[in-house]
Amino acid sequence: MTDSPLSAPTARRRLARGSGGDRPFEAVVALAALTVLVVLTAAGVSMFLGGEPAFKAFGLKFFVSTDWDAVNKQFGALIPIYGTLVTAAISLLVGVPASFGIAFTLTETAPRWLRQPLMVAVELLASIPSIIYGMWGLFVFAPFMAAHVEPWLNDHFANTPLLSDLLTGPPIGIGMLTAGMILGVMIIPFISSVMWSVFTAVPAHLKESAVALGATRTEVMFKVILPYTRNAVVGAIFLGLGRALGETMAVTFVLGNAHDFAKSLLMPGNSIAAVIANEFTEADSDLYRSSLIALGFVLFIVTFLVLAAARLLLARLQRIEGAKV
Amino acid sequence: MSLLLLRRRLFDALVIALSLFATAFTLFWLAWILWTTISQGASALKPSLFTEMTPAPGAPGGLANALFGSVMVVAIGVILATPIGVLAAIYLAEYKRGTRVAGFIGFVNDILLSAPSIVIGLFIYELFVLPFGHFSGYAGGIALAMIMLPIVVRSSAVALELVPSETREAALALGLPRWKVTWSVIVRAARPGIITGLLLGVARISGETAPLLFTALNNQYWSANPATPLANIPVVIFQYAMSPYDDWHALAWAGAFLVMLFVLGLGLATRLIFRQGGGR
Amino acid sequence: MSEALAPEAHPEAAYPPKIQVRDLDFFYGGRHALKGINLDVPAHRTTAIIGPSGCGKSTLLRTLNRIFDLYPGQRATGQVMFEGRNLLSPEIMVTELRREIGMVFQKPTPFPLSIRDNVAFALRHFERLSRGELADRIEAALRQAALWDEVKDKLGASALGLSGGQQQRLSLARTLAVRPQVILLDEPTSALDPISTLKIEELLNNLVRDFTVVIVTHNLQQAARCSHQTVFMYEGELVEAGPTETLFTLPTQRRTADYISGRFG
Repeated sequence: MTDSPLSAPTARRRLARGSGGDRPFEAVVALAALTVLVVLTAAGVSMFLGGEPAFKAFGLKFFVSTDWDAVNKQFGALIPIYGTLVTAAISLLVGVPASFGIAFTLTETAPRWLRQPLMVAVELLASIPSIIYGMWGLFVFAPFMAAHVEPWLNDHFANTPLLSDLLTGPPIGIGMLTAGMILGVMIIPFISSVMWSVFTAVPAHLKESAVALGATRTEVMFKVILPYTRNAVVGAIFLGLGRALGETMAVTFVLGNAHDFAKSLLMPGNSIAAVIANEFTEADSDLYRSSLIALGFVLFIVTFLVLAAARLLLARLQRIEGAKV
Repeated sequence: MSLLLLRRRLFDALVIALSLFATAFTLFWLAWILWTTISQGASALKPSLFTEMTPAPGAPGGLANALFGSVMVVAIGVILATPIGVLAAIYLAEYKRGTRVAGFIGFVNDILLSAPSIVIGLFIYELFVLPFGHFSGYAGGIALAMIMLPIVVRSSAVALELVPSETREAALALGLPRWKVTWSVIVRAARPGIITGLLLGVARISGETAPLLFTALNNQYWSANPATPLANIPVVIFQYAMSPYDDWHALAWAGAFLVMLFVLGLGLATRLIFRQGGGR
Repeated sequence: MSEALAPEAHPEAAYPPKIQVRDLDFFYGGRHALKGINLDVPAHRTTAIIGPSGCGKSTLLRTLNRIFDLYPGQRATGQVMFEGRNLLSPEIMVTELRREIGMVFQKPTPFPLSIRDNVAFALRHFERLSRGELADRIEAALRQAALWDEVKDKLGASALGLSGGQQQRLSLARTLAVRPQVILLDEPTSALDPISTLKIEELLNNLVRDFTVVIVTHNLQQAARCSHQTVFMYEGELVEAGPTETLFTLPTQRRTADYISGRFG
């Protein structure tokens, strides 16, 4: 055969890609995948550049000063940083036990027919836009806290050492405790769905051998499942933490945008995301705007680290077990 | 011995009861939020919502411009995120599956997936608002696209990976080039999963507020030009809810109700499509 | 055994080798899966490859159309000569090669398209055909695969709605439609019921008029029924190849005799 169809028109074309259109197509899809990297990197770089004037002007003082004075152009980020950490901590106190309870119920005790509806309900919680959480928090939950929960706290913790500082104060509803609790509910679906899927990925023979030894369901959970899935469970919590640290709308409504330090969790506070949301469009000087972007950069780095840790912890289990995380 | 057994049993019962309580606690919040939004929103629903512009305090009005603006910024987001996301997923799932490159990009994508949306807003402000000197619907749409992108990448890559390798091999064995096999056979086979991801993405960005605050901003008037600031439902909800006026609050609830209805409706559609696709 | 299949009736010379495998080695990463394979595949004959699972029979088949290229860790060395060229050479365009050497897989692999488009998909890519020509080619392929009568009224329906046996015949029709010279079949009936299996086997007997067929099977009866030449492989080596009847009645190797008498595998 002289004109065999097998020979390539140009010699030494690479095999599997050797047909017209394959190279360009691969280049296009590679470029698309690259945008994912570019977006994350560019976001970090652009915020660093935007925040640079503030970092230069205030140096380390930016992180330890509580001054936030637009008139005199003094910006210190301690209050929002503190508020972010405190609300996130409260959210974990609410969200982690609740998520564990749901995951335990779903894997071990709920009847089969109930599991699907329960999972749908939890997913529903995740699909509610955060602005609705915020609005509901402002109009419904904060008044509820002011009328029922906070007076009760004032009555019961007034004389408890340590806690009295944190849990007593003016019952106004708006404040770090309210914000933290709403965040706690918001992160439940994220933590519980990962916990649930790693719990179900535990090999049945491990559970069965424990049950065969007479272990109760709780003992199976605490002595077999939890130790076995420890990394992934921590990963799930980090995932929730990442969400809580960066959440904006849900807390902006109920934090109160305060720039003074308050020991009490019942007092208004602030968070990085909330101060940006509240003040960015009103920032009337370059240094003001730069300070807010610098805060955004701090938030970006912190959530990046937390989320990266979460993904690394989860990826390990995923590799071993093929769990869908 | 029996005392120990009793204690173990009691502890077991306690943990089970607490877990049930945690579940009930979560469902209670869900019901509470849904109920508030539905009851407050339904009472604020009226036809003028869809025909009149956002009003000054005290004046009658609706959400027409905000609804239209929302549709526009979400559409811009979808138009940008869908092709990039699906193509990126093809690279990860079809060309680099199991490699370090795919692992790394997937990892970065997962981080982007949960990154704070306000940070994306700031980023787009730096990139598109500051240089042009004004807020715009385009900037808002681009910010939403960046939030939708990782969702599309993730779900499309999963859907593509679920296509049996036999299908891929059979199409290649016919002598078809890789790109054609991928585009006409593999992507088509993964379509239910890809569409599910798109709907999830639309649901997510249609309620996003934080990235629009400093990009699309708001506009009291009707505008169909995405080069100008655009009114949009989430930012209107934010501004009206934070205001001291009762009639603005009512409009905010109506907006929240509409967004929730849309998001839940999309969730339902997603479930139906997924069931259809999975039941094959 | 039908008369047409009796190997004695056809002297070797009437069927020159279509594919010649020389010193073929195959590696999955570090695992040496094929060791020094030498084999002639005669034109217009059916060659069956048998052997216990893991012996490399499917690997050998997957080397012949270079489908293994899809997986970065897999590589082949040696020669697979086809029309005077070494198929393993980097200069070969795999798309053209696969058009000449088609393949049907173990599991039916309908594309998520209509029945018509399953067959037309590759045709449209390779050839500029008028509407009428395309319809004729589709009908011819479906007839050749003995599927036409069952699907002629629902060509627009999704191929995913067909039964497993029908889907497998559709996969075959798809391959036949592009008119390859060689057809590779990788355990094409192992996922099918006995009636569908019988239909496919009947088809195979007709195909050798137009094509050269290589079939991998774990079913010894199938190899005996459908092939002219049988190849026995064991642990990556080609133990014995010969006319089917000879190999099954008078194997020269001890391992072949053990295998076909059911002593292992």
